[in-house]
Parts: sequence; C-alpha cells; structure tokens
Amino acid sequence: MGHHGPTPEGFRRIPTWEVAKQPAERPKKPATPKTATKKTLHELGIVEVPDEHKVQAALERLHEQIKQRRSYMLAMESCVKCGLCQENCHTFLGTRDPDDSPVGRADLIRKVWKRYFTVQGRLFGKLVGAEDLTLETIQKWLAYFYHCTECRRCGHVCPFGIDTCEITMLGRQVLYWLGVVPALHADSCAAIHRLGNNMALTKSGAVDTLEFLSDEIEEERGFRVEFPVDKPDSDIVYVPSSADFMLNPDTLKGAALFFEYIGANWTITSRMIEAGNFGYLVDQYRTQRELVTRLLESAKQLGAKKIVWGECGHGWRAAKQYARTMADVNGIWHIPIVHIHDEIASYIVTNQLELDPSRITRPVTLHDPCNYARACGHVENMRIIIRKCVSEFREMYPNGERNFCCGGGSGVLFDDPEMYPMRIRFSQKKAEQIRETGVPDGPDGGILCAPCSICKAQFYPMVEEHELNVEVKGLLDLVGKALVFRGKETSGGKKW
Amino acid sequence: MPFIEVAGQQIEVDEDGFIQDPSKWTPEVAAFLAKGEGVDNLTDDHWKVVNYLKDYYEKHGIAPMIRKLCKDTGFTLKQIYELFPTGPAKGACKIAGLPKPTGCV
Amino acid sequence: MVYFIGNVLPYITVAIFLGGLAWHLWRWTAPRIPHFVALSPFPKTWAGSVGFIVWQILVFWNILKFDRRLWVGAWPFHVAIGAILGGHVLGIYTLGTQFHMIFPYAITEALSESMSVILGKTFGIIFVAAGAYLLYRRFAYDRVAAVSAPSDYLHMFLLLAIGGLGVYMRFVPAASLHYEEARHFLAGLFLFKPEPLPDNPFFLLHFLLVQILMIIFPFSKLMHPLGMLWNRWVVNRPYEEPAMGLPGVQLVPPAGVMYEDSGRTIRVEHWPRFPVKGV
Repeated sequence: MGHHGPTPEGFRRIPTWEVAKQPAERPKKPATPKTATKKTLHELGIVEVPDEHKVQAALERLHEQIKQRRSYMLAMESCVKCGLCQENCHTFLGTRDPDDSPVGRADLIRKVWKRYFTVQGRLFGKLVGAEDLTLETIQKWLAYFYHCTECRRCGHVCPFGIDTCEITMLGRQVLYWLGVVPALHADSCAAIHRLGNNMALTKSGAVDTLEFLSDEIEEERGFRVEFPVDKPDSDIVYVPSSADFMLNPDTLKGAALFFEYIGANWTITSRMIEAGNFGYLVDQYRTQRELVTRLLESAKQLGAKKIVWGECGHGWRAAKQYARTMADVNGIWHIPIVHIHDEIASYIVTNQLELDPSRITRPVTLHDPCNYARACGHVENMRIIIRKCVSEFREMYPNGERNFCCGGGSGVLFDDPEMYPMRIRFSQKKAEQIRETGVPDGPDGGILCAPCSICKAQFYPMVEEHELNVEVKGLLDLVGKALVFRGKETSGGKKW
Repeated sequence: MPFIEVAGQQIEVDEDGFIQDPSKWTPEVAAFLAKGEGVDNLTDDHWKVVNYLKDYYEKHGIAPMIRKLCKDTGFTLKQIYELFPTGPAKGACKIAGLPKPTGCV
Repeated sequence: MVYFIGNVLPYITVAIFLGGLAWHLWRWTAPRIPHFVALSPFPKTWAGSVGFIVWQILVFWNILKFDRRLWVGAWPFHVAIGAILGGHVLGIYTLGTQFHMIFPYAITEALSESMSVILGKTFGIIFVAAGAYLLYRRFAYDRVAAVSAPSDYLHMFLLLAIGGLGVYMRFVPAASLHYEEARHFLAGLFLFKPEPLPDNPFFLLHFLLVQILMIIFPFSKLMHPLGMLWNRWVVNRPYEEPAMGLPGVQLVPPAGVMYEDSGRTIRVEHWPRFPVKGV
C-alpha cells in the first residue's frame, strides 16, 4: 500500500481539458524508468548488449520478431496516421507529447522498420518517414514503451483494428533482449525464475498468510473457511491475483467464501500461486512461457478439471489467450481456463446465490480493467455481479469497452521520482471520471471497485494524489461481503 | 552497484537503497537507512515494527501481509504511516533489510 | 515519351502493382498469430465476425463513433473513391450506358450517359473537397502534423491532382475526353495491341499520375483497405468461450439453459459437458 515517495515539488496536477489547450510538443527528455542492475539481468540470463553493438542487435531482433508475428507485421504496414487514436489515449491526454500517443509510439519502431526492411524506406528514406536506428531512439523506446499501459483503447478505436499494444509488446521484448529492462519488471521476472511468481512469495509465507485470512473470516463471520494449498485430487485449481497475498486480503477471502458457498473441491497450487505474469509484459519467450507451463503442469498434477482465474487483468489475458499456444507441455491438455467472475455471474443469473446488498451501503463505482473489458469481454458479467452485491451502484463514463485505463497498466507502477509523476498524470482522466460519478462526495466517501491487482496498486496512491475520498476494493471483496451463509454465519461483519 | 558505509563496513545496496544481502543487516544499518526514509530517530515503536518484519522475513522469506503486520504489532495503518512516512512496504521493509517488493504492488 | 507513357509504362505499372500486392499479402499472411481473439466485441460466430467487419467497412463505424470531425471527411472521401472507380470501369466499358443496361426500360441510353456525367461530376467534387479537408486537417491539427511524414502529404497531393484533373476534364468541354476515345485506348492496352494515347494533355497527365499512384500503392500506406481486412481477422475472429459451470461442486445451477441478462447470454452446463472447441 503506497510504497511511493511524496509527490515531487513543482509537479502540479493538470486537468486533461487544461492539457488539451497546450500545443502538442515533444519534451527534450522523456521520463524514463530506472533500469535493472547487472545482477538482476544475470539472474535472468541476459547481459546488456554493449552500445556499439546495440543498434545491430536491435535490428536483428526486430526483423526476426516482426516476420514471425502477424499482428506486428500488420501494425507496421497498415497505419494511415489519421490521428484518431491520439485523443483516445490516456497518456496523450495527460502529457500532449505526440510520442506518447499510440501512433507516435508505434512510429518509433515503424520508422526503423521502414528504413531497413521496406522497399520505399530504403529508396526514399526521410521522405516516407523512415529513419536510421540510433542509440537515442533505443533510449526513447525505453521511455515510451514503458509509458504505454497496454490498455488497448487505441486498438479498440482504430478504424483498422491495429492493435498498437502489440507494438509495445514488441518494443519491450526487443529491449529485454538488449538488456534494457526497467528494474521493476526485471526484478519481477527474476522472482518468477527464482520462486515461480512475481511477488517472490514462498509457500510457507503464503500458507501463513492464508491461515491468517481463515482466522479473519472466523472473527468476522463466525465460521471457518480453509484455503487448501496443493491439495491432491482437487476439481478446481484457483489462481488468486498476486497482490491478494499482500495488499488485498478481502479479494482472496471473497473467492474462498464463494467456493465455500457452492461447496467446491478447490485448491491453490504453490507452483503457480498467483496470477500475475510479468513475462507477458516484457519477455514472452522465456518468462511468460515458464508461467503458463507451470500453470498447466500443476493443474494436471493436482487432477484439476477446470482452472479458475482470480482478479488479475494482465495475467488473465496472458493465460486465456496464450496458455494453449505457448505452454511447453507434451500434448494439449484440455483443461478449460475460466474467470471467476464469469462463474459467479452464471450462479447469479440462475439465482443460486443469496446476496445481501444492504451490507454495502456506501455508493460504489466500477472501474473496468482494460484487460477484462477490451481484451476478454467481461463487461456485462462484472455488472451482473456488482448490481446484486451493493446497495448503490453508479456507472462512470465512458465505461465498458470504452473505459480509460487506470494509468498503471502493464506494470507501469514505477515509484522513482521521474516516473511516479507520470503515473499520476496518466491517471488524470480516470480521476475526472471518478469525480464525475459523485461517489467520493458521500459523507463516508465511496467505494471504487477495481477488480485487478495492478489497477488497485495504481489506485491506492492515485486516489490520494487526486484527493478522491474512495476506498479501493475488488469485486470479489464485495461478493464475499454480500454472500449470506444461512445457519452458518453469526454476523455479516462490519458494514462497508 | 552503490554502497553505503556504516561503522566502517561497506554494504551493497540497490539503486533504491535496499540492502542486497539481508545477512549484513545490523541495528546500525537500520538506523542509517532510517535517515533516508525520513525517520531520524528509531523509537521503540519503530523497532517493534522493524523487528517483526525482520523475524517474519527470516521465518517465511517474504514480507507479511500489511493487515497482518498491523494486527500483530497492534498499530493501525495510519500509525504505521506516521512512524514510517514512506509507507510500510518501502520505508519499514527497507529499514528492516528486506528486499524491494516486486510485482503488482 | 508519350509513346512510353501510353504504351510501355502501363505494362510495367501493372506488373509492379500486382507483384507488389501479391508480395505484400504473402508477407502479411505468412507470420503466425500466437494468441486467441484479442479485442471487443468478441463475436462468437462467423456471421457475427463478418457482420462486424462489413459494418466497419460500410459506415466507418469506429471513426463515426469516436471522431465525427474526421468522419465527415473520411467517409465521403472513400465513398467517392468507390463510386469513381466503379464509374470508370462501368462508364468506359459500357460507353456511359451502364444505367440503361441495369434498367433498360426505365432509362434510355442518352439519359444514362447524362446520369453518368452528373454522377461523375458530383463524386469528383466530393472527392476533391473531402480530400482537401483531410489534407487541411493534417496541417491544422498539431498533434496529427507532429506524427506525419512528408509522404503523408504527398499521397494526398497526388490523389487531389488526379481527382482535380478528372473534375477539370469533366467540366471544361475543351479538355474533356469522350468515352469512345478512352475505351479505344484502354482496350488496346488490355488486348496487348497498344493504340496511341488520345491527343489530350490533361488525359496524358491524369493517366500518368494514376500510374504513379499504382506503382507506389503496394509500397505505401495506401494499402490500408487490405491492411484493415488482415488486421480485423487477427483481432475480431470468432471465438467461443468455455461453458460455465464448475466441476465437483455441491450447488449446481440447472444446466443446458441459456440465461439472459443485460444483453449477454450465459450458457451454463454441467461438468464434464464442455465443448472441446474453444476450450
């Protein structure tokens, strides 16, 4: 919870409508995240490519990557630069830096691609917008590809469906191989290779935390719910979201209460103990593959018939869309991977759950995490659940697939003095949206439901910076709170 | 890699000032790191939190859940922020010699 | 020189155009797609997927929804291009009697020709006006100008020059070229028995610029109509979600029923009846 420093002096929060009046200008030096130490890179098995070879290495990697993936190739060659994406991107709305808009960001690679790998670029150079690759450009990649939060709002609004997020993924992957990785991402990846998860959780620590949660439920509700870990012959493997073990205990409790309610034979696996997948954000080839492989292997080992995913945005996308194509396992195991929200929604529409909305009386607004709304289609299900769980639900606008990112997506959770103000600036649009709902104005404030660990980690400091009187919670928190255990519970606990 | 020097001993820290080798941690190191986190004087309350974090890390290899930290030490989150202005994860954990948290935090 | 432009260059142009097109489409199709469907609206069936893409093509839905000021330029511009291309093919091939051929009893040949002329003038003007607006937009919005390359302007200048010449030939009788002359010349090219270019400097220039356009087409952003189809296939393919329902639970919702809520259908099934497809 808020391991950030104080807001640096001279930094002022500027509303997006004020920013919009400023000219679109490139800053002299964009805010750049701090890069990883040699030691961490060694742990990941990479070495920073020396400067004199960097350009050549980057070109080789780019070429190899782009000709391997259709989405990369198409993003390189079918943009007309209409500029539609610009004002739909929260980073551009916050900074007015043309390179911080999807088209500008993509151009950082597109120019290079044109220059070296297309006929027109080789013949006409600058005339067609082709540019030589320089170390300066590589430095720009580091800045701008880690400003992008991979929210895909640009892909959603693009008339051609160009998924600019893929270019960010490409840029980050190439940078990773060059040994230019932000410390936060490299440390998380190193933790994955060392302990199998982003947060460097140990099994003993996790078990201890889960026991603590069992005790908490018992205190609040008067009955005990166990959190099985590595229980053999389980029907369901549940993968909780990463920060559930550190910052968001109510989310994990909510999931356990739901499984208890329906009487599921479930377990958490220590080999894939949390859902985050920082490999998906920087290194798909080794790190993301490691985790999706662990996921399928451990589900198979425990005899699971279905994998249920917790409240994690990017990890859910990494598993849902890549697990079957990327996992390094023999044969294809048809273990379906579903999201817990979808399952809960299916119980709610069939009227199987008794939920008491009067336990949550403060007004609630819902932030649609990008990966759910635009990449995985959970918009309606989240609303089906939230309407049944709370007394007063208020939409923020725009919402659903058109929602704006929290500003911290894809691990842009840097807290160094250069990047932290950027994060807050990126969330400017979000803060305006939340303020407009009126939820923070209540006498006791309100609840901001953000069912994704990165969103939560971004919102904890963000709501304070923007002075929003809201408590950040997940959706499972609300489900757990509202579930009525007849004959079992002695009380519903404190009202929210 | 930067170093800090405490009581004549050189200790390796990362760029955020988290010490690299927890076994090098001593109370003097804690006092030194505390100054960088806006804690000039480590009181008994500070030590209660720091020692708890340290013991927990030695036992389980991770930092405890923040709610558990509050419950076991008896402080509210607000009090923890008063003790450690830069927060429990960055401030208190750094002083206790724990590594910097990674992932979605 | 005129001989080269009229009788040699066209074959080179077409070879480069078709070759470039084929090469690019191969280059776009060869790489693999490592992930499943990526973007809303997540169509579940082929019909839904195709319907969505066609809808996008017909009304430029995303532009209409997210940027009206771009749409008022872009949509008429492309509609005009479509109409003009169609008009060129049909009008020249049928000598302006295309409407008579479609409705032989209602429209006389003479009426058809004058319709063809009027429509040609109308769409020509729309094309030039909308194109000029799009060009102005590129200059006027500093955020768009900041990401534009010289070629982005040059493409539009080229298109406007072609369109402008066409409109000029339509409106100024002295500069115009009749259908017969054009057909005579083009038929010669298509039948590999090249005829000399009609003696009309405006047509010469128009014809030359079109060839330049065709040569650069496969090697520029002008490929975007095809790029859109290829892109949309990556992000809007049909994808079936696994059915809901958890294995081994005590509380089981009634199975096999479709539940509707807020426009979303949820299919609940009992374990282990999951469809293998899409799982």
